[in-house]
Amino acid sequence: MKNSFIYPIIFMALVTAVFIAVLAGLNFVTADTIAFNKQIQLQQKILYIFDILPEGGSEKDIERVFNDNVIEKEWGGVKGFTLVQGGREKAYAVPISGAGLWGAITGYIGLSNDYTKIIGIEFVTQSETPGLGGRISENSYKNQYRGIDISGKTDNFIISSPQPGSNIDAIAGATQTSAAVVKIVNENLKAFLEEVE
Amino acid sequence: MTGKEAKKIFTKGILTDNPILVQVIGICSALAVTNLMMNSLIMGIALSLVTAFSSLTVSLLKDHTPKHIRMMVQVLIISAYVIMVDIYLKAYMPDMSKALGPYVGLIITNCIIMGRAEGFAQSNPPLPSFFDGLASGLGYTFVLLAISFIREILGFGSIFGISIIPSSFTRWTLMVMPPSAFFILACIMWIFNNRSIKKQREGVEKK
Repeated sequence: MKNSFIYPIIFMALVTAVFIAVLAGLNFVTADTIAFNKQIQLQQKILYIFDILPEGGSEKDIERVFNDNVIEKEWGGVKGFTLVQGGREKAYAVPISGAGLWGAITGYIGLSNDYTKIIGIEFVTQSETPGLGGRISENSYKNQYRGIDISGKTDNFIISSPQPGSNIDAIAGATQTSAAVVKIVNENLKAFLEEVE
Repeated sequence: MTGKEAKKIFTKGILTDNPILVQVIGICSALAVTNLMMNSLIMGIALSLVTAFSSLTVSLLKDHTPKHIRMMVQVLIISAYVIMVDIYLKAYMPDMSKALGPYVGLIITNCIIMGRAEGFAQSNPPLPSFFDGLASGLGYTFVLLAISFIREILGFGSIFGISIIPSSFTRWTLMVMPPSAFFILACIMWIFNNRSIKKQREGVEKK
């Protein structure tokens, strides 16, 4: 019977159906948790940009602070976030994306409400070398983007060391990634500011 | 299954027939995820569980599986278990899921699992197959931990993320990059195989 034409087909179909049922069940049970994790991860990043991330806060704290202070905003098709405190728009988080060394880098950059200052940066996806380019996700690199004055500039907002007039230190041993991040920020900011004006 | 058989299966999987050191299979992920010990540990556990359970399932189904479609069935079973692990990591260990990235999904193509399913589970009862898969997974885990121990301590100055070397120590950039795993793995293989050859020779001389 095993060598008949139809048996392997039925057998394969049966085994497949059983495993699909199990996986679908598992997916159904965990779908909400996974979606929640993703949402918290993004909210945490946006709060970090606005520098109002609750210290050692739990997921619930993050969700609460986010819902209290941040709303979504759209600028001509660009979807970002706005920090609203005391009924006034205080700052914006604008999406940025571009090519890194190994893969696409996406993230958000924070701008003050009059678009004259960069207030922070955070990366959502990056696949740079861990320990080298991957260090762009570490606070010591990201904190350099706090409070950079860009008023009056229309291009080259970020200048990486060792160039003259630099305002950001590149990561030693990760020249390519550092240059890529600077390029991404400058290009995206330029496009965004032109869009806004 | 007697205790003696179990012992034999475990010595084979972990030492004399170690998938990485002796059979040299599944080294792709061994090079990729060994930059941190935590990554290696989770990867090792994930692979051990997938190998153990897929071997068990393959063995349970072997009497009903037509021979010419057995590989299709094996791949199906393995993929199902890998997806389960992936979903679990995404739901309950999101940081780890991010750190391991695509390598969890790539467990499906890890030769160790297919090798155990085809080489052992297909012709052995379920329980020994389960232990055989587990033993091979453990053998893989131990080697990964050994590599990542050297890489993490020289590359980041830490063990399991806990800093133990003062920051004045210059980090070895090379250790963070995948190529270093080639050198370390080769050295471990060299030492291990040297010892086993020596042991074999001693055994022959005693006779």
